[in-house]
Amino acid sequence: MMRRAFFPLLSSVAAALCSCSSNSGAPAVFQTSQPDIVFALGSREGFVSPLNASLKPACPALEFRGTSYALTGAHRRALAQLAKGWSEGGKPKYVLAGYTPPEMTEDYARALSERRALAVRQALIEQGIEAASLQTVGFGQDSAPSGPTTGVVVIYKQ
Amino acid sequence: MTGRRPVLKALLWLLLLLQPALVHAVTLPAWLKLPSKPAGPPVKLPQRKLNLGEFTGATGASARKALGAELTNSREFVITQEGGEYTVSGSSVGGRVTGKLVRVADGKQVFERTYAAPGLDENLRILSDDIIFAVTGKPGLATSRIVFVSDRSGSKQIYMCDTQGKDVQQVTRHPHGAVSPTLSPDGGQIAYTTYRVGFPIVQILDLGMGWERTVTDTPGSSFGAAFSPDGQRLALVMSFLGNPEIFVTDLSTNTAGCISDTVGAASSPTWHPDGKQVMFSDDRGDGPKLYVAEVPEKAGASSRLFLWRAGHSFCTDPEFSPDGHHVAFTVRKGRETAVVVRDYPVGSSTVIQADGAQHPSWSPNGRYLCYVQHGTLYVHDLRTAQRRAVLTQYGTISEPRWMR
Repeated sequence: MMRRAFFPLLSSVAAALCSCSSNSGAPAVFQTSQPDIVFALGSREGFVSPLNASLKPACPALEFRGTSYALTGAHRRALAQLAKGWSEGGKPKYVLAGYTPPEMTEDYARALSERRALAVRQALIEQGIEAASLQTVGFGQDSAPSGPTTGVVVIYKQ
Repeated sequence: MTGRRPVLKALLWLLLLLQPALVHAVTLPAWLKLPSKPAGPPVKLPQRKLNLGEFTGATGASARKALGAELTNSREFVITQEGGEYTVSGSSVGGRVTGKLVRVADGKQVFERTYAAPGLDENLRILSDDIIFAVTGKPGLATSRIVFVSDRSGSKQIYMCDTQGKDVQQVTRHPHGAVSPTLSPDGGQIAYTTYRVGFPIVQILDLGMGWERTVTDTPGSSFGAAFSPDGQRLALVMSFLGNPEIFVTDLSTNTAGCISDTVGAASSPTWHPDGKQVMFSDDRGDGPKLYVAEVPEKAGASSRLFLWRAGHSFCTDPEFSPDGHHVAFTVRKGRETAVVVRDYPVGSSTVIQADGAQHPSWSPNGRYLCYVQHGTLYVHDLRTAQRRAVLTQYGTISEPRWMR
């Protein structure tokens, strides 16, 4: 009897723990807070697209699962590391490019990849990188097959 | 021992008989399922009788024959010699066509027009559409076009074809590709997203004059343009505010206003035929759902924004039917997508095609849907539930949009 009652409890705890990274509608244990201020994008002048030049990623690509655009702890740690070296590295500019796998519908893929890139941008601004140094682009699946074909945000150094 | 032999023999025969079916099942792609039920009797469509009268002139005979084929293909009429509700007659000389439509009951002339476009076929298509519109009150499809994206050239580019999948023309040749096309209501312009500058921007191409014009080149991404029913405005996605939002831009003044209020991922706006509502897909963290925003008549006016209950949890690419009474959209069922039509604002929904079908678009008369399934362009007759692959093996086709 005790075991029967324990299983649903265990599964609900597991589901709640999972939801904090999958951004589902279920209540999360560690809620991802919505930003108080969403920073508008600055001018695109001086930024080069990864389509026009061979740009080097500033850090490993940030992977997103399913349709989530919430940042995980691993994402935040990687971004904190990047932000830490930003001012010492001469305050470089970054283009944050979002990509999705090919099975998504096209227009939603563009919106989702842009939304993920903007979530990364927001986190970098909160970590101290100037908003004017960051530009986003959501390629969705339009850059395939030459570009990434998974759900990632790549941070390209200018 | 001897009693088992007939059983073994029968099993062997059964295996031999089944073999072609087994081979067939293996070679067919997984999504191309055979119908589980035998097809019923063909659906009898309501058709009017039309008398095809005499066409005089040097090219009159060939014009009459071609017009008869065009009108038969439209499935709107039964072509007869006598006993019809209307009679069409005319003349043709050197590709120029004059057509006359007369109502038989009272002998009243509905119209008499001369068509002088270069080419007999082009003139007959326009005449056919004029006859259909005059008799049924709905636009014909002979001059209608479908725009779509294909990667057959190595990058995604925009193409255009007629409703039979013929007369395919490449519209764009941008170095980094062009996607998300939509035709203006008069068919004279295409709005699309291009990566010409390396970032997604929205442009308009005038098909008649050949000029291109950039509508938005704002920071972030711009995509998903849709013409308003009057052709004067565009609804599209822009992200320069720090979030992908739906904007309505006035093409005559180049001003834009945000009509969505989201922290999610908004995409694929579509206009209601009344020009006062825009439906779009928005993922606020639990998968994309369909929302409706009222377009304020003037800046600062209040407007409603509400979630439309589509009956599915993952909905993208909505498009209103020409009469505004239905919405076609893409849903995700398991790992595959499906095309669904649902009554608007409330009612039931019907799965039109499952197994990977996506991005539906209505024909101007509301009787057909075009969509893609695994890279092939289909036209689906909603009255008979029969469909036809109109363009196959033309690269991977995506994002078809029928001229409204």
